[in-house]
Amino acid sequence: MRAVVVGAGAVGVRAARHLLFLGDVEALVVIDPRARRLEAVVESLGPPATAGTNAAGAFDGADVVVLCAPTGHQEAAESALERGASVVSVADDVATVRSLLSLDPEARERGRHVVVGAGFAPGLSCLLAAHAARSFEAVEEIHVAKVGTGGPACAQQHHRAVRGPAVESRGGVWQQRRGGSGRALIWFPDPICGVDCYRAALADPVLLALAFPGAERVSARVGASRRDRLTARLPMMRRPHPEGALGAIRVEVRGRQGVVHHDRVLGAVDRPAAAAGAVAAVAARWAVDGRLVRPGAAGLATLAEPGPFLAALAERGVKAAVFEGAGATSSTPVVTISEE
Amino acid sequence: MSAIRRAALALVLAGLAAAGVRFRRGGPVPLQQGGWRELSRPELK
Repeated sequence: MRAVVVGAGAVGVRAARHLLFLGDVEALVVIDPRARRLEAVVESLGPPATAGTNAAGAFDGADVVVLCAPTGHQEAAESALERGASVVSVADDVATVRSLLSLDPEARERGRHVVVGAGFAPGLSCLLAAHAARSFEAVEEIHVAKVGTGGPACAQQHHRAVRGPAVESRGGVWQQRRGGSGRALIWFPDPICGVDCYRAALADPVLLALAFPGAERVSARVGASRRDRLTARLPMMRRPHPEGALGAIRVEVRGRQGVVHHDRVLGAVDRPAAAAGAVAAVAARWAVDGRLVRPGAAGLATLAEPGPFLAALAERGVKAAVFEGAGATSSTPVVTISEE
Repeated sequence: MSAIRRAALALVLAGLAAAGVRFRRGGPVPLQQGGWRELSRPELK
């Protein structure tokens, strides 16, 4: 496999390392505009990793291009498709995700994959939703919540997301809601536990509504502090951290099995950048190995078999959890405090 | 003197408002039922 990783940040480095661990990599080109950082990353990865400077030239002969840079995903994806490579993007903002999804006809025509939102959330969140959905004949609602950020670009995206507007699918109709509204106390797996989460401009509903067109409601919330909400409409007050602390995802899927309506709650805890790197690397490996369900541009809930993909992630240290116990199937472990 | 009194009053009011915001809620309530467990390999088939 010949792979190109664009972006040597918190996610890109992890994705490159996981790709090498997954094996059978003839060539791995890492591209980043920061020359010193790129040199250090390539040196730490070792052969067959090499530094690339010109993105378009580096895509020639590549089997897969993993896009982990903060911007430029659509242009890079178009360029990679033109050169016959599949694309894996960790983009998590709504506009970029929608623009990448618009490449579906071209990707199908070329018989290549464009895996959109192959990170922590969207990405791991989509896999958890798809896995939970397998418990139902019909999926009625999907609600995603996440807390935590990866590298600086992820922190900036979190800041923009809280500003909104949030997008939610209700009965197949897209609704815009105010970012930072709809506070709900969400209980994540230990040690994150209870976090106040709010509506935000998150891309998970865009990908999940595509994968589950019959779902009546698809929404997403993000954990945010009062300071996050207060300053969301201002520029960031201080430089974002190099990498955030532990984060978590919680996905609740409600559906029908026979005549019984119930729900299933899955979650995961990890450093968001580390988990995103693992998801992107496994998606790239699967794209090259022909293990994805179909060619085209879509999220992992559409393109991947969730169980085996989550098993592959578990081997890379990213483990999923299920909420169970008294009350887990009839009512949800979410306490909605207010609907602003 | 009146300016000092006004400033002191403003500070007290700001402090009360901040305390109201800070202590409005006691924080998350732990789950009373159920819990999380890792998905096993057979569950991921």
